[in-house]
Amino acid sequence: MKAQQQIPRNALVWSVITLFALVAPHFARIPLWILAVYVFAAIWRIMVYRGRWSFPSRWVKVFLILTSCIGLYFSFGTFLGLEPTVALLLTAFALKLMELAERKDAYVLLFLGYFVCVTEFLFSQDLLIVLYSIFTVTLITTALLALHQPDQHKFNPRTIRQAGVMLLQAFPLMIVLFFLFPRIGPLWTVPIKSHAAKTGVSDFMRPGDISNLSQSADVAFRAQFEGDIPGTTDLYWRGLVFSKLVDGAWTSLRYFDVPAKHRRQLEPELSGPELTYSIIMEPTQQNWLYSLRYAKSTQAKVMDSADYRLYSPVILEDEYQYRVRSWPNAQIEDELSDWRRKAELTLPDNENPQTLAFAQQLRVESDGDRAFVDAILQKFNREEYIYTLQPPLLGDNAMDQFLFQTRRGFCEHYAYAFVVLMRAAGIPSRVIAGYQGGEVNPVNKTVIVHQFDAHAWAEVWLEGEGWVRFDPTAAVAPDRIEWGLERAVASEGSFLSNSLLSPLRYRSVIWINNLRLRYDALTWQWKKWIVGYDSDTQFEFLQNWLGEISGRKFALILLGSWALVLIPVAISLLAKRDIKRTSALDRQYLAFCTKLEKLGLVRAAGEAPGDFGARAGQVLPDKADDIDKVTRLYCGLAYAEGFSGQEKKSIEFEELKNTVRRFRG
Amino acid sequence: MGASDVGASKLRSQRLDIKTHLRQRFQKWVSRRIPSARSVTLDQKRLFIFPSRVGFFFGLCLLVMLIAAINYQNNMSFALTFLLATLFIIAVLHTFANLSGLTIHAVHAQSAFPGHQAEFEILIEKTKPREHFALSIQWPESSGVVVNLVEENSERVSLHVAVGDRGWFNPGRLLVESTYPLGLLRCWTWIDLDLHALVYPRPLPCGPLPGLATDEPDGSAVPIVGNDDFYGFRDYQKGDSLKQVHWKGLAKGQSLQSKQYGAYADSSVWLDWEAFPGLGMELRLSHLCYWAMQYDKQNIEYGLRLPGVSIAPDVGPKHREKILRALALYGLDEGDQ
Repeated sequence: MKAQQQIPRNALVWSVITLFALVAPHFARIPLWILAVYVFAAIWRIMVYRGRWSFPSRWVKVFLILTSCIGLYFSFGTFLGLEPTVALLLTAFALKLMELAERKDAYVLLFLGYFVCVTEFLFSQDLLIVLYSIFTVTLITTALLALHQPDQHKFNPRTIRQAGVMLLQAFPLMIVLFFLFPRIGPLWTVPIKSHAAKTGVSDFMRPGDISNLSQSADVAFRAQFEGDIPGTTDLYWRGLVFSKLVDGAWTSLRYFDVPAKHRRQLEPELSGPELTYSIIMEPTQQNWLYSLRYAKSTQAKVMDSADYRLYSPVILEDEYQYRVRSWPNAQIEDELSDWRRKAELTLPDNENPQTLAFAQQLRVESDGDRAFVDAILQKFNREEYIYTLQPPLLGDNAMDQFLFQTRRGFCEHYAYAFVVLMRAAGIPSRVIAGYQGGEVNPVNKTVIVHQFDAHAWAEVWLEGEGWVRFDPTAAVAPDRIEWGLERAVASEGSFLSNSLLSPLRYRSVIWINNLRLRYDALTWQWKKWIVGYDSDTQFEFLQNWLGEISGRKFALILLGSWALVLIPVAISLLAKRDIKRTSALDRQYLAFCTKLEKLGLVRAAGEAPGDFGARAGQVLPDKADDIDKVTRLYCGLAYAEGFSGQEKKSIEFEELKNTVRRFRG
Repeated sequence: MGASDVGASKLRSQRLDIKTHLRQRFQKWVSRRIPSARSVTLDQKRLFIFPSRVGFFFGLCLLVMLIAAINYQNNMSFALTFLLATLFIIAVLHTFANLSGLTIHAVHAQSAFPGHQAEFEILIEKTKPREHFALSIQWPESSGVVVNLVEENSERVSLHVAVGDRGWFNPGRLLVESTYPLGLLRCWTWIDLDLHALVYPRPLPCGPLPGLATDEPDGSAVPIVGNDDFYGFRDYQKGDSLKQVHWKGLAKGQSLQSKQYGAYADSSVWLDWEAFPGLGMELRLSHLCYWAMQYDKQNIEYGLRLPGVSIAPDVGPKHREKILRALALYGLDEGDQ
């Protein structure tokens, strides 16, 4: 029994391969020293295998566990949250390898491996990650299988085939279960990804923030329109509304900044064309959602605020899918309350005196609010203002410095300056942050919005028109709005200068670009139907395909579709197929008969080999020896009794084979 | 206190009764389902399958993964959990197929002395062109052997079992089991291979056999105790046959005496049941066995006389086997096996 419980070498090698394959995708989110633990554990285990070292003693193990825990605490500052938990799991996984002595240790190690796969999915469910995980699951299963093949003293790459076959057979069963299994809400709250960086536009905008964001080629969200896609110049994806300027940074009004009676949105009259679209956002760790104004969502989990933006009550830790309807021509907030007017006019005291004086002077000279707005836009357009991804840093009285000295800025500089000028002139206005434009994927007609599409613009409240959008950047660099950032900063060469590997940089290479767009279209489908498959989608999907949903139907479909797979598998595994051992012998004899046939000797039906041999020997006396030998050997092998002399049998069989081969017909 | 003790022990014995009863019922059921045969091909009727302990542990892990998937609302975790769950189901078929179609032949059982280990030889043979791994084979009292059938079509396996008392020893049902490929399920069978080992009497030394001297010349009368010619009288000893009692003398008022009969000894010797007057059957057989072994070692021709059995003097391993077999099976019902 003892020998059976040991770990075959094949299984050990597969386990070590599995170990490293599993930690690889976690590489970016764990401290480097954990990788050192992996290498250390693998070396120790290999040295044990080679008989150089012994298994670690209990004290060494206790020491390693304690050191790892302390290390984790220092690296993360806490044990709470998903990342430290995963790091702990990964470290335990490595340490378990070191004491891998018996089969029961291997079970613990490999089942832990399946858990590590799950943790990877908590961070990303991208198609590539999933494909990679299928590979790692196959590796774990292979190691598990190799564990049950005793006496495999050499690494056997073929073991993976059997594991692959089994997983392939399980796959269709899993698909059925995946779509049918009821999706219920969380049973209890779970640790969140406390260490994941917030991504995308943040609720705190200083000059320079958005130009930093624009260095990233990551996808912010994808949108798919029902019907035609509006022109890119109309795609102003509103995310945040910045009404407060504090210490040189714009932020939005907090829930409690707004008096209770002003918290409800004043619903506009819905007129003009209507747009319907779905958006799938990448996780942002923040809670605002992007939409074209004026946007409404019928989804229960999407809320709207008094400044006409959409948000989710919980922060977006995973991909988030929602459906929106927009009326771009609807007038919003015809009547401005006193409180709102005051809030949208407030400027910090004693800041940017030059700018304030300039605005007040210009307002007096202009004929009405709209004329003033136009005058400012013309100033940006006509005078020497430069749109750049590398704006100079600004000090105190930032806008004075920007408007009258440096004159170089990115969208947030222009939006900032524009709103300060408006407010100084007594016109309610605010900064809007979000994304502008997007890339239309010709493969599936989705709009892909990247981080470098991040943008800031302004809304100005005009009497009789409500909030009107003005984009000062459009006045400075019309290319940005028309063609996107890449063309707008083409002369500078600063577009994605930090992400050399992004396929977006190689858009000019046609096949790379096609591949990228096809993959992105696949990503859309993947996120929409698989990653985003929740109770609502499930209900819709099942009703479309199955009609009325009942428990009996469920069970029938589950069992029926499983039977479709399981029965053929069972038949192929269990069907009676005769082993070809005897026929190998028969084949030799039949080959011999064929050779004799060429010499004119045909074995009669029912003629026993012995009789035939005797007859052939008489007809061909010169070959009688060989004929007799073959006949004797064949009869001996075919009709001999008992189990004895297996070795002798195989020698005789070889002899028979050689004689038949040598026999000249 | 005492009453409750009695009650508890009663309960325990009752439970024990139920347990033995259930075991008996089960044994009966198994014998009906898998009757004894010299070779058995494993198929649906003979194989049992159930999750192993590791399988239950795996199920627990899946449950934890499912809870994680539900709590994080993570579809890929759902998918992985379901993939592993369905892998478990697929593994049922593979584990079953690993044993199905194997033929187990009874080859040979070696004879042994009580308390020694008898070798039982069996042959495992494929009937399908597939690979079989990690077949664990074991008699209830033997240590196990693990066999792979990968390229070879058959494999001989020898297992050693400590045997019990004189007669035919049945090692019980052979357990053939495997958890291949994933260890999550255990597929097994108990087969009765109809393989019995012959157990000789336990050889017990005793003093020299009365009057058995082999150095006497041929034809001289030596008192070999037997039923042949009258030899003389001696005082009655306990265990002497009543037929031998000298009743006439008793009637004449003499003390109780037995008649002694003698045979003529030659260089070959007879091991005779009657040489151990007053001893029980097993003890006689043990002594006879001992002497048979001694003569065999010294290469002396010897014969055996048991009530109803007579084997002419001879020498050599075949003869020894014949003698020992007769001794082993003497007085047993299933002696014809």
